Amino acid sequence: MSIAAELPNRRIEAWKYSDLRGVVGDQPHVLREGLDIIERLAPGTQQLDVPAGETRLLVERMDDHRHMDARAVDYSVGEGASLTRVVIQTGSDLPLSVARVRLAAGAKYAQFVLALGGRLARIETHVDVDGEGAEVELNGVYMVGAGRHADLTSVIHHRVANCVTRQLIKGVALKGGRGVFQGKIVVERGAQKTDARQYHHGMLLEAGAEIFAKPELMIYADDVQCAHGNTAGGLDEGSLFYMRSRGIPEAEARALLIESFLVEAIPAGFAAELDGELREHIRAWLAEARI
Amino acid sequence: MFDVQNLHVVVGGAEIIAGLTLVVPAGETHAIMGPNGAGKSTLAYALSGRDGYEVTQGAATLAGVDLLSMTPEARAAAGLFLSFQYPVEIPGLSAIAFLKAALNAQRKAHGLDPMPAPELLKLLRAKAEALKIDMDMMKRPLNVGFSGGEKKRFEALQMAVLQPRFAILDETDSGLDIDALRIVAENVNALRAPDRGMLVITHYQRLLDYIKPDHVHVLAKGRIVASGGPELAHELERDGYDRFVKAAA
Repeated sequence: MSIAAELPNRRIEAWKYSDLRGVVGDQPHVLREGLDIIERLAPGTQQLDVPAGETRLLVERMDDHRHMDARAVDYSVGEGASLTRVVIQTGSDLPLSVARVRLAAGAKYAQFVLALGGRLARIETHVDVDGEGAEVELNGVYMVGAGRHADLTSVIHHRVANCVTRQLIKGVALKGGRGVFQGKIVVERGAQKTDARQYHHGMLLEAGAEIFAKPELMIYADDVQCAHGNTAGGLDEGSLFYMRSRGIPEAEARALLIESFLVEAIPAGFAAELDGELREHIRAWLAEARI
Repeated sequence: MFDVQNLHVVVGGAEIIAGLTLVVPAGETHAIMGPNGAGKSTLAYALSGRDGYEVTQGAATLAGVDLLSMTPEARAAAGLFLSFQYPVEIPGLSAIAFLKAALNAQRKAHGLDPMPAPELLKLLRAKAEALKIDMDMMKRPLNVGFSGGEKKRFEALQMAVLQPRFAILDETDSGLDIDALRIVAENVNALRAPDRGMLVITHYQRLLDYIKPDHVHVLAKGRIVASGGPELAHELERDGYDRFVKAAA
């Protein structure tokens, strides 16, 4: 059967900026039953349980330029354990990823997504904060050029007390590129003393660039600290002049400013090699973008 | 060396600088004093080429080179330096990376290769020490979380590293305590040289106790309305700007 009729289109609230049906169109695909759409498109669900007290680092590269690349992962992070996941999405066709993460007491989950977008790229993350004292860090950078669409969607569910969430997403878009950030944080009634911060900052580098943002905080507990901030704008003219007044040519100054804007979202503490790879992706994109 | 003739500058449709003429010979330091709104910062920005500061008339040259037709970066490469009243904060870019980019961009403009890293580090260490700047501060994001004094010291450090031919210091004293003021002034004084000129913009006479100017000019309503020796600064401190503002009206 054709899957087109089953795919979400922009009428479905959670997909309103990313019209998967419109992009995939009427191609024949076989779907599995009983799962959400990306899980059904994925060839299987990769599972990982991080045992109590242990530490894992996963680096995923989504670099397929020719095929739909749908992936589903399911992680559970045990008591006091720590999982770091880095997704580097460069593939230009249909990179689709959904992650479901459960955190036990004192567990830490840190995620960083670097997305260049594709015909339609969506990196979706669901985190269930089930154990007290757990910590979530969900950061990301998107850089979309003409014809590219990058969607970073996340739902963080705080169900228990004394947990922390930090989210910082930064993105830039060129003419004809579209960036999407949808970030929902739910703080349940029992999740007192939750400390959650969500920030998304987008930069529109040219006329005709598009950034859509839908930040949502749903708070049902009354003793929490939650903050969110969301901005979309252009390059700061004052900073640009400051750099040029020191002799840095305009194009170089722009690239340096955008790079410094983006790298702020890269978590500190990555191994030098990984940190270097991420920064190199940013520099290479900027060099090609010629803003 | 620094020659401004009949300069008119329009910002947002309003003429802020209205026929300003100023000549600073090589080796001299001149001060411009004036009340709020006189056009002091506008003058500094217009001479440095900031967007939105439109020069509608007049000329400005540095060592005979026309500045007004140049981009801000070309003016910097020609030897102009502006010490900002409010240095810009750039999160994500370390102070040291910024200085390296600036120095090497200027070297490139002069046909020189980038300065090798060890040499650069040695240079920065020496200049930073003179300004009592901790090398750890250099690794922090540019001006982010710097105190007012640290920001101004870092401006002075940039000037010491870039070695401009002509420096404009826009209210370098604002935000500085007495100790920081003395340190910054000492380092500015150390840069005084027979082939270098400076223009010190300030509200108060206090800075001029440390950086002693050869000439003092009073700016009011976008024009120089009085010029004199260092004693003019003391007169202003005593009597205020009123007399000059009224005379300019």
